[in-house]
Amino acid sequence: MSQSLRPYLTAVRYSLEAALTLSNFSSLEVERHNRPEVEVPNTSAELLLQPMHISRNENEQVLIESSVNSVRVSIKVKQADEIEQILVHKFTRFLEQRAESFYILRRTPISGYSISFLITNKHTESMKTGKLVDFIIEFMEDVDKEISEIKLFLNARARFVAEAYLGEFVY
Amino acid sequence: MEDWRRIDIDSFDPNSGRLTNDDLIPPYAHHVTLQELQPKIAQLRSLATSGDMSSATKLATEDPPYSADANTKAVYFQAVLEALTQVRQADIATIVKQLSPQQQDVLVKYLYKGMSLPEGQRQGGILLAWFEKLTQSSGVNPIVHFLSDRRTV
Repeated sequence: MSQSLRPYLTAVRYSLEAALTLSNFSSLEVERHNRPEVEVPNTSAELLLQPMHISRNENEQVLIESSVNSVRVSIKVKQADEIEQILVHKFTRFLEQRAESFYILRRTPISGYSISFLITNKHTESMKTGKLVDFIIEFMEDVDKEISEIKLFLNARARFVAEAYLGEFVY
Repeated sequence: MEDWRRIDIDSFDPNSGRLTNDDLIPPYAHHVTLQELQPKIAQLRSLATSGDMSSATKLATEDPPYSADANTKAVYFQAVLEALTQVRQADIATIVKQLSPQQQDVLVKYLYKGMSLPEGQRQGGILLAWFEKLTQSSGVNPIVHFLSDRRTV
């Protein structure tokens, strides 16, 4: 692991551990509703806690917004050039379309970020909190690797196609 | 009469117990102004340039201007960020150990604030180094304090 990635992941890990102390909380506004307070516009400001920004540089950031019964984690994946922007968009969209089987994945990222997770008290009750944190850290590690790998494949394929196609014109 | 069934009568009740963001800011007897803060900023700058990073960090994290307005906080934050980014990576661990728990709580506020602003994000590496050393010395405690503390820097 590179020298500057480790402090970044450590910061995210500790921040998540602090934020993931959730409890069951019924809505104050709607009778018999129980909804993630971080997602709904609510009139009780005390339910929301301070948001935490963690950034390695301008292009790699994590925003953790926590509330009494839910935590929203948004990740901005590194996008160095236009190809990476397209790849990240396709990759996160692929995951988000299958959000049902990921449980904690949010269907759309919040604006300015590539992908968002929404962890509620239901998740921390049915799953181990430590493992949830591990999952997000592992995801952050892997997604960079994945994107740069796909980019290499893409370049290799483009070169092969270009050679095959332009080979026709070589006399 | 418009749709009176949908009127939220609780919001008209002063005793409803609902809080807005303004209600959560603690009442301050005195609001610090930029003029009052100037000597401290100057002292911070001179300590940082003379290389006495330990005293500079202690001064920065001692009695931050919670009651000041956003502009004053921004000016003070700029001075703190300059001091924090001048510290050598090797010295961070010893400086963090010298801070009291209260000072560490303040330090973590400045780190999170730094990472949320573009000028701090450019220095992301050094802020993350501070953060790592802080968690090594006192674990998750300062972060938990940060989450529920309504006094912002």
